[in-house]
Amino acid sequence: MTLISLKSIYKIYNVGGEEVRALDGVGLEIKENEYLAIMGPSGSGKSTMMNMIGCLDTPTSGFYQFEGEMVNEMDDDQLASIRNRKIGFIFQTFNLLPKATSQHNVEIPLIYANIRKNKRTELAMEALNSVGLSDRMHHKPNELSGGQRQRVAIARALVNSPSIILADEPTGNLDSKSGHEIMVILDKLHKAGNTIILVTHEDEIAQHAHRIIRLFDGKIIEDSEIKK
Amino acid sequence: MLLLLENFLISISAIFANKARSSLTALGIVIGVFSVTMMGTLITGLDKTFEGSMSFLGKNILYVGRWEWFSDMDWWEMKNRPRIKLEYIDKIKNKSDLVLAVAPERRKGVSISYQEKNTGIEIFGTSENYMKTISSNIVSGRFFTNNEDRSGSRIIVIGDGVKKAFFGEKNPIGEKIKINNIKFRIIGVLEEQGKFMGIWSLDNRAIIPLGTYERIFSRRDFLTMRVKIPDKNLNEGKDEIMTIMRHLRSLKPNQKNDFSINQTKAFEKQYNSLKLAIGGTGTFITLLSLIVGGIGVMNIMFVSVKERTREIGVRKAIGATKGMIMGQFLMEAITICLFAGLTGLLFAYISSFFLNKLFPSTLDLGLATFAILISMLVGVVSGFIPSYQAANLDPIDSLRYE
Repeated sequence: MTLISLKSIYKIYNVGGEEVRALDGVGLEIKENEYLAIMGPSGSGKSTMMNMIGCLDTPTSGFYQFEGEMVNEMDDDQLASIRNRKIGFIFQTFNLLPKATSQHNVEIPLIYANIRKNKRTELAMEALNSVGLSDRMHHKPNELSGGQRQRVAIARALVNSPSIILADEPTGNLDSKSGHEIMVILDKLHKAGNTIILVTHEDEIAQHAHRIIRLFDGKIIEDSEIKK
Repeated sequence: MLLLLENFLISISAIFANKARSSLTALGIVIGVFSVTMMGTLITGLDKTFEGSMSFLGKNILYVGRWEWFSDMDWWEMKNRPRIKLEYIDKIKNKSDLVLAVAPERRKGVSISYQEKNTGIEIFGTSENYMKTISSNIVSGRFFTNNEDRSGSRIIVIGDGVKKAFFGEKNPIGEKIKINNIKFRIIGVLEEQGKFMGIWSLDNRAIIPLGTYERIFSRRDFLTMRVKIPDKNLNEGKDEIMTIMRHLRSLKPNQKNDFSINQTKAFEKQYNSLKLAIGGTGTFITLLSLIVGGIGVMNIMFVSVKERTREIGVRKAIGATKGMIMGQFLMEAITICLFAGLTGLLFAYISSFFLNKLFPSTLDLGLATFAILISMLVGVVSGFIPSYQAANLDPIDSLRYE
């Protein structure tokens, strides 16, 4: 079943009077339970692509359907709601709230989804448990290692049972051992039925995915399946 | 509702993470709330005291004499006015339809002694009718009679302060006390009066017959007449007395009054201008400190938004709407101001105890609520622009913000 459908997406910026086409007529379909890597050198439109899929940004022109809903016609609040319910973000720099415990960090998406405290605690515990951090519930980010922080971030991305998990260079700030652990978790999440979109420039990381999209100058130049 | 509570908790932790900064910021609000509540407490306290003092002086008494109260008339002009004569009293009483009672009053400060003790008091010389023109009563003994007045008896009615100073709880009736080495027999004690405006004691006084007063002290001290008029006829009464006085003084229509008719209203006028001054100063200080405090809060909120740009980006990425972000920062500004308001209130509460030693003053609950609401309003006003800015940050840019 098709989850995401992008048709002739353009994102055009005006930088000092000069037109910059960050995305130049991109078309893409992503099905449920795909494991996709978006690759490309810097300036290729990779980040814009990710922001577009993550509903953080809207296209200058084109059509974006997410589970049948027209994202390109949505206002800010509707976009916020889509991000809250359907998308789980994992960032390179983790982006946890430094003064909040792991548990609270994981609960934030649930707060915005207006879920009661008891239910929130239960879901947060479940999510932390699934990334193997049930004993780190009350630790703050500065009391955790980089790998552990990223696992908290994964738990936060998972907690609302989103339709896709969007990971932007998830191992970029980690040593290779922690990075490997994170990839193992993502692989496991894929096996459990989640749709995962990786944005990376590392081939080794991209090899975990089952499909690779290569971007160059705002255009898709390659879309290939990886036979496992 | 759920979000409101969450935002409140977020604000608390953000504020406590920056204790020094937050409390310095809030100082203006603390002072503002303190001054508005103190001002209110002061005014209600003064009102109560004033009301009490006024009822003692008697709202329905006209004071006829040479001096005009709180007047800008030249001192020497009043000084050169003819004396008030004792014979006016009967004439006023006879000619007037409204007057209930008229009593003469001469007064001076003297030293009074009992055995080894002595104290300074004010001595009043008056007639039998005096008791009809004051609002206090004799608590023990009696007042003097017309005969005693005419014969110049050496008898005295003392105020509560004199009784306490010399006799404590003992019964003073029949005891002898001395003024200028002349013995007086105590025949009565006046009810306790308290202090006028909390400052001048009204109990350190004694009353003797006017006849006695004139024999011992002087006939030349200036005389005031206390004229009692029914409450509802006060103005007519004043006009009537004026007509009678002008007639007694044989004044022609084009001549100015050479006497004054005073009312406690004169005090009220003075008092109201004092109140206005306190209110005005208080309001000015309050407004100024609230504005300064509000600007401080706004400034700190801009800093807070800037510092937490990334946090705002993350929150937006994981589903916070503009309204939610706006609510979070507004709540933070309101919470700072609320804490500041409560602190100001606490200081005001403590200060009102000290103030209470001077005159009755209690912190009014309505006023306290008002002060807290005002401080929260300052929070809303000063938090609005920074919160609006936070709400409208672009999530992509904020996520990238270092």
